[in-house]
Amino acid sequence: MPDEPKMPIPELGDAVVESGGSTLYQCMQCGLCVTSCPWRLVEGEISEEFNTRKLQHMGQLGVEGYESDNILYACTTCGICKIRCPREVNPIENIRALRSMLVGEGSVPNAYKPVIGSLSSNGNPWQGDPKTRTDWAKDLDVPEFTEETEYLLFVCCTSCYDARSKKIARAIASILKKGGVSFGIIGNEEKCCGESVRKLGGEETFQELAGHNIELFKSKGVKKIITTSPHCLYTFRYEYPELDGEFEVMHYTQMIEKLIEEGKIKPANDLNKKVIFHDPCYLGRHNEIYTTPRNVLDAIPSLEREEMDRFGKDSICCQGGGGRIWMETNPGERFGDLRINDAVAKSANVVATACPYCTIMLDASNMSVGKEDLEILDIAELIDQSL
Amino acid sequence: MAEKIGCFLCSGCGIGEKFEMDDVVEAAEELGVSLVETHETLCSKAGLELIQGKIDSDGLDAVVIGACSGRDKTALFQFPNVFVERSNLREGVAWTHDKDDEDDDDEVATQELANDVIRMSIAKAKSAKLPKPQTNEMTDRIVVIGGGPTGISAALSAAEAGKEVVLVEKEDKLGGFANKLFKVFPRDYDIAAYEKIDLDGMIAKIEANDKITVHLSAEIGRIVGAPGKFDVTINKGSDKIEVKADSFVLAAGWKPYDATKLSHLGYGKPNVITNIEFEQMAKEGKISGDLESVVFVQCAGSRDDDHLPYCSNVCCGASLKHVTYLKEMNPEIATYVIYKDIRAPGHYEEVYKKVQKLGTLFVKGEVQDVDEGDEGKLNVMATDALLGEDLFIEADLVVLATGLVPTTLDAELLHLEYRQGPELPQRDYGFPNSHFICFPYETQRTGIYAAGAVRMPMDIAQAIDDGAGAAAKAVQVSELVREGKATHPRVGDFSLPDINFKRCTSCKRCTEECPFGALDEDEKGTPLPNPTRCRRCGTCMGACPERVITFENYSVPMIGNMIKAMEVPDEFEERPRVLVLACENDAIAALDMAAHNGLKLNPYFRVIPLRCLGSMNLVWIADALAKGIDGIMLMGCKFGDDYQCHFVKGSELANVRMTKVQETLDRLMLESERIRFEQIGINDYDKIPAMWEDFAEKLEELGPNPYKE
Amino acid sequence: MSSHHTSVLVVGGGIAGTTAAVEAAELGHEVYLVEKSPTLGGRVAGMNKYFPKLCPPYCGLEINYRRIKENPKISVFTLSEVKKIEGESGDYTVTVEVKPRYIKEDLTNPIAPFEDLEASLPNEYNYGMDKKKPVQVPHELAFPYLPVVDAAVLENDELRKQVEGLEGVDLSQEAKEMTLKVGSVIWATGWVPYDASKIDYLNYDRYADVVTNVEFERLAAVNGPTKGKLLRPSDGREAKRVAFVQCAGSRDERHLPYCSGICCMASLKQSTYVRDAYEDGEAWIFYIDIRAHRYEHFYRRVQDDEKTHLVKGKPGTIKYDANSGDLIVVSEDMEQNKIIEVPVDMVVLATGMVPETAVHKIPFEGLTYDEFGFLVADPETAAIYPAGCVKRPVDVATSVQDATGAAIKSVRG
Repeated sequence: MPDEPKMPIPELGDAVVESGGSTLYQCMQCGLCVTSCPWRLVEGEISEEFNTRKLQHMGQLGVEGYESDNILYACTTCGICKIRCPREVNPIENIRALRSMLVGEGSVPNAYKPVIGSLSSNGNPWQGDPKTRTDWAKDLDVPEFTEETEYLLFVCCTSCYDARSKKIARAIASILKKGGVSFGIIGNEEKCCGESVRKLGGEETFQELAGHNIELFKSKGVKKIITTSPHCLYTFRYEYPELDGEFEVMHYTQMIEKLIEEGKIKPANDLNKKVIFHDPCYLGRHNEIYTTPRNVLDAIPSLEREEMDRFGKDSICCQGGGGRIWMETNPGERFGDLRINDAVAKSANVVATACPYCTIMLDASNMSVGKEDLEILDIAELIDQSL
Repeated sequence: MAEKIGCFLCSGCGIGEKFEMDDVVEAAEELGVSLVETHETLCSKAGLELIQGKIDSDGLDAVVIGACSGRDKTALFQFPNVFVERSNLREGVAWTHDKDDEDDDDEVATQELANDVIRMSIAKAKSAKLPKPQTNEMTDRIVVIGGGPTGISAALSAAEAGKEVVLVEKEDKLGGFANKLFKVFPRDYDIAAYEKIDLDGMIAKIEANDKITVHLSAEIGRIVGAPGKFDVTINKGSDKIEVKADSFVLAAGWKPYDATKLSHLGYGKPNVITNIEFEQMAKEGKISGDLESVVFVQCAGSRDDDHLPYCSNVCCGASLKHVTYLKEMNPEIATYVIYKDIRAPGHYEEVYKKVQKLGTLFVKGEVQDVDEGDEGKLNVMATDALLGEDLFIEADLVVLATGLVPTTLDAELLHLEYRQGPELPQRDYGFPNSHFICFPYETQRTGIYAAGAVRMPMDIAQAIDDGAGAAAKAVQVSELVREGKATHPRVGDFSLPDINFKRCTSCKRCTEECPFGALDEDEKGTPLPNPTRCRRCGTCMGACPERVITFENYSVPMIGNMIKAMEVPDEFEERPRVLVLACENDAIAALDMAAHNGLKLNPYFRVIPLRCLGSMNLVWIADALAKGIDGIMLMGCKFGDDYQCHFVKGSELANVRMTKVQETLDRLMLESERIRFEQIGINDYDKIPAMWEDFAEKLEELGPNPYKE
Repeated sequence: MSSHHTSVLVVGGGIAGTTAAVEAAELGHEVYLVEKSPTLGGRVAGMNKYFPKLCPPYCGLEINYRRIKENPKISVFTLSEVKKIEGESGDYTVTVEVKPRYIKEDLTNPIAPFEDLEASLPNEYNYGMDKKKPVQVPHELAFPYLPVVDAAVLENDELRKQVEGLEGVDLSQEAKEMTLKVGSVIWATGWVPYDASKIDYLNYDRYADVVTNVEFERLAAVNGPTKGKLLRPSDGREAKRVAFVQCAGSRDERHLPYCSGICCMASLKQSTYVRDAYEDGEAWIFYIDIRAHRYEHFYRRVQDDEKTHLVKGKPGTIKYDANSGDLIVVSEDMEQNKIIEVPVDMVVLATGMVPETAVHKIPFEGLTYDEFGFLVADPETAAIYPAGCVKRPVDVATSVQDATGAAIKSVRG
């Protein structure tokens, strides 16, 4: 039975453009995004239904049928389509705009309701008590940011509240201290950077969070920021300036690289492990930092470094971006499994990464498809061990 | 006929190593040449001086140069005022054959081949003389038919190259279809700058040029004659203007496809219009900025077997432009373009991209229905392949992107008083026949060149360039024909066919078969030659059953004598002897390439190059069979829709003739398989050894030619 | 007043340049044709067949060469490059560098002296897919039909030793400069294929059996590296299933934003090579839009072939399956509304055209190039006339058309 013909509502496309999907109409429907998309690497419902190209076309025409979780909310914003698109379309922004229009109308996927709620009430997406935001730093003697401090260390909410992830924050702080970096944390007044909530369509929430942070940073005299997550890096670098929040931002791996180069730290302890690096989308494709994490790893003695089959610009997403970290994904459709399989095939002992989302997603996959002797570690943890 | 022939034999490049040169000298001397000289490098300064010295001292009127292929060192072996025959001992013998076994007296195949090659060349030289140029008085005037952008460009180009131009336009003003256009592409492809076409500027240039005469509201009434001496009657109302001209550019343009045939796309319903109507309305300011929704339907009639099977090339660009008209008036107008493929080649991609950015909605699909809806709206139903679903669009206006039909399709434009008809022969869909890849301006009527949309669908920018190109060909006619030279492809050839009318039976074969319509007829059907139309292919010569058509340096007896000069053993003691008649444009080049690649060929084959297989006269087959030759192979260009023959029909005609003679052979109880036609491309050289061997084996099966003495 | 010359300089000996040269000469003008490589013919000499007639390019070249050979008004300079142009329309002074061929003028046999040389240098005529001898005639339809010593010989003692004593070789030859006075200049230096390795996701550098369309043309040619057999470069296996990926670089803001205009027709043509070579051959053409605007009938013919599949979709992934040795092309098939994975023997990337003027600017002041490097024709100043693909990406027929027009423009006045 043929479906009823669809009736275009061209005003919808214009609204997408106004909501930030400025490249929507540039799409010429070549379909390169579709087969570049990591969903093609797995089999399942979402893979069947989610088609970036078609989503652009639906947005252009303003026809219905894109609203389901499996279509509109499948995109992990990994950015591979964006860096390849021959027309320089940014499908991520177009999808974000479409999502924001729905969220703006109050139509929020169930999985995101608590996230948005927590962000509004707690300033973080993890239902964490704001007062415990700096608990990760217990016993570490992490300095507080003052006017004399050079760098603000901005710790991702995930590493503030997630037990596993806290270790990463601790490792980073430890390294910075060993390297004699002038840094400090602000503490409980900080709120989530807002990167992911913006991607899932929570534009209003993002504006609130970002506004709060910018105000806060300015009032504390922050000029330079070190982020623990490449997601925070992205939003501070590319989105906060639009809201008049101009800061000099760097990812912690960049600081480590600098410290090693300047001889301020020297990884000395042998690792004797085969380490494979997983490029986080937001570190690689979104911030174009590819060599830094590798240089840092290569500084560790007796570390044998391996590459995944797809790495660098081609790296496969962990599936944690774009709000997917809060969505359930059926077994078999998890991108993290692909990375773990690759690491196992290459006989790696450690998958190193540099993003709290990646660590969570890969850990989960490692538990289901990995091997017991395979560890998921943040670069910071490896460096700290080696110092 | 050449009387004093010098034969010069080169032993360089390994030629001397493959056979006994003394034997060849002997063979040449037996044929009664004035002198035979051998040299180890004829192409050296000393060798060339030897030849020129002998020409001067012995008063030679022809030289046979037994050395490399005539395709090589062409410029070196040119000697003024003597007939030069290049006898191919290098590629044709030495490089494609092994030396005969010295210990076996019966192994003489390569030697015999070399001897025959020289014998045939000497026979050719004996039968030839150097053609005398027949110069012509030219008018240095070119008539351009059609005063649109193509014609204007052609006229200006020809005038600037020094010719007088008569520009004939059927409307009462210049500009052609461009008059109806609102805006056109600027040259820099910046759509922000779609500009009004500067027709006035173009026309002003025409008016300011005192070499150009314009006749408006005028049409060609009649064309009689040939390049350099065309008599042209231009009808202007009841007036008849007579001009003389050398050549023509036919730039009569196009007309839109008849939209009344497109009722399935809604034409005929209110607010369903064509792109032409849209353009005119835009020009007249009649398009409302209050429209809410406009649908452009691409390929309306084009790419459609029921209408125009071809792509009209310009409609994608036109609709892109039309979208900008709307968006400039009111960016809120929803514009849909329903397409099969967006064809925006080259820099037009930039336009496509920019039009996309205006918010245009491109839908790959087909319109299924256009119906009248509520409140004057149109309901458009279309498939959307990008969505995999159907769309329902409410539109205020539907614009059908209709295509181009060349005026040559059904209008009479030239009124040529030619035996073969009044207009240019056509290829598909009404476009003139041509070698459209390598030599796109060539037509089948010498001195008449098509340009612009009559040649193929094209936009204005291309048409302007095209007008210049066609003008170049038209101007060349004046320059070449003045000196008595042929035009393309035998440029510079002075030879002309001579008809012995006493023996002509007025069978009309030559007048019918000439691919270029060069021959007219009188009432009885006797051919009336028009030498300046002639392209020297010799098709008439091949067609003539009475063999009354002859060129000074190419004739039926000449080739006949070459065949007769071969020595054929009495008995079928060796492998079969084969005569190869080969097209000199492609097959001969392929044979050379076989030699350059070191391929070995059957030594019992004797090759005679023909100008074109169209010049193949059946009597040669009779001559060859009578001579005792066991088989005849014709090596010609591919024919059919994608013909490769440079004279359009030559190889095809040869094939038809061969089929006829095969029927005769069958009747005479002589196996028709003794004659074989091979279509060969220039780069099929690798296939030749097997092709020949296969034929030789077939002939061995058939046994010796029963006419062998 | 400066002197007025009517002679024409044509730069580039490909189809546009040779056409411009013969057409200008047949208009009665003195022509200098300057070509940088050792032979005329340009890109088309490397083509197996022309679309849509599937006829060999040598055929038309042969006619044009004959027109050149028999026309004393044309002087051909191969191995020559224009170094400087000064002056103005009607009175240009052109400096041309003529590089040595390292072959003595009195050499008669272009083949035999070099027969025993080992083919040891990359053969640019076959895009480096096979080896050529250090001295040889470039190819079957070289014009002039002369051998040339590869410049690499001069740099390599081993090769030098092999070549030095051979008949006809003279390594002491040196480059010369000459000055030409001409009235006009036609620039027809053509195009270079876009570097496919820049489109990283198509894995051109990674898999030997991912080739470009110009390379595939050589594989199909009888005088190509496989003697016209469609075999895989990696293992010599028959390439019976071939995927053609359109717009490999073209229509891409990150590579060539314009459409190269010819690649659709080229791939349609090349699909017939596969179908003609193998009875069970199969071809897939992955496209955005099929731009067969000039030759719809040919498109239809290919479309009608049941073993040739036109797929609307742009592949984002080309994988290698180690078990079967197949390459697997992953693409959307929009019209079937699905994602397909097609195992093939070979992938042909339809790479586009880069105007030669984007790589080498013309040594003359005041010319305008567009953002992609195409030379902009300026009818007003009539400085230097572009012809063919330096002006816009076009097919052979359009190049010829353009060159013929350029010929009359160049001789005006």
